[in-house]
Amino acid sequence: MATRDDIEAWLAACTTGDRRAFGALYSATSAKLFGICLRVLDNRAEAEEVLHDVYVKIWQNAGRYQANGLSPMTWLITIARNTAVDRLRKRRSPPASMEQAEERPDPAPGPETQAIAASEGGRLSACFDELDEGHAQAVRGAYLDGETYADLAARFEVPLNTMRTWLRRSLLKLKECLSR
Amino acid sequence: MSDELPERDADKALAGEYALGLLPSDEAAVFEQRLVNEPELRALYAEWCEDLAALTDRIDPVAPPPRLQGQVEAALFGAPAGKSGGMGWFGVFLGGLAAAALALGLIFGADLLPRGPQAPADPAYVAEVAAEDGSLVVAAAYDAEAGELFVDRRQGGPREGRALELWLIAGENAPVSLGVLPGDAQAALAVPQDLRPQLAGGILAISDEPPGGSPTGAPTGDVLAVGPITNT
Repeated sequence: MATRDDIEAWLAACTTGDRRAFGALYSATSAKLFGICLRVLDNRAEAEEVLHDVYVKIWQNAGRYQANGLSPMTWLITIARNTAVDRLRKRRSPPASMEQAEERPDPAPGPETQAIAASEGGRLSACFDELDEGHAQAVRGAYLDGETYADLAARFEVPLNTMRTWLRRSLLKLKECLSR
Repeated sequence: MSDELPERDADKALAGEYALGLLPSDEAAVFEQRLVNEPELRALYAEWCEDLAALTDRIDPVAPPPRLQGQVEAALFGAPAGKSGGMGWFGVFLGGLAAAALALGLIFGADLLPRGPQAPADPAYVAEVAAEDGSLVVAAAYDAEAGELFVDRRQGGPREGRALELWLIAGENAPVSLGVLPGDAQAALAVPQDLRPQLAGGILAISDEPPGGSPTGAPTGDVLAVGPITNT
């Protein structure tokens, strides 16, 4: 298992054009990131394309890493998650209005979101437990299933603004718990 | 959002929404602009990224197919792509990358990834295209080698539901479009080959246009900002 220092060193070396460092970084982290792409997209071919894009971005933006205050693995995970969610949302036809959103099939949470209960381990999980179950699902759904406010509003059968107020309050509750 | 949260809490929630990719694109753009200038907001956003990344803790690693590494490296370093390489695949990749880059601005903070190309280190020409009252200021720098005009919108933006289009006016010629300024503050616009010689001594102007730019090929809305192109 590569350490945080390893990953930081590889990223730093990537900024100098060190291809071997990139290879090492890829070897150490690609399975984790591919797992995330697969989880979000649930489609192998798309996950492969996204993973490809993810590593191109990592190479091209390695120099941005140091400045952003994230741990290196978080930086990589965030790129993978965001790129996968972008792809997922592009695949779904975006609902132009709430009416349309309501006609769409219920965007059921992914299996993991449903089964996850207390599985993240540690702090985050405990804090999710303090949220209403639906609210915790909404946050997970947004992160892991790329659900938008329109998706979430349709799933929970509430108006969009209500959904947003809910979710914002849930985020604050989560944050309050996490910073205790 | 007007759910009456204290300011600090409102920002906390906002940073979380941004990290989740939930903000409507207009609010995301405002947030990204703020990220550039507000270290506290960047810290809030970084915290959310860390916290939310823990949601992936239980996702099992899955080894990608071995050929993928070679394909990534071929795309980046131009090495032979191996047996499964070839232009067809590369074309798909480029399309995917462009699409991904397009959506990226909605989700990534300015600090996490560059939102556009970097300003040329040694521009051949520069211009400051500014409104008289300073409400719109766009700095432009031309990279002769790449044939690209790097634009940096430093002040102002398009009106609600409208776009900003950049024009080159060379001598007595009619304005020629250099393209619509993208939503990102910084961007590189490719300058068509035939227009490149006209940059020297020309004038850049920005007009208010419908989304997607002028439908006629000539400016249709107000001219908002003007600036001469100068040698460096």
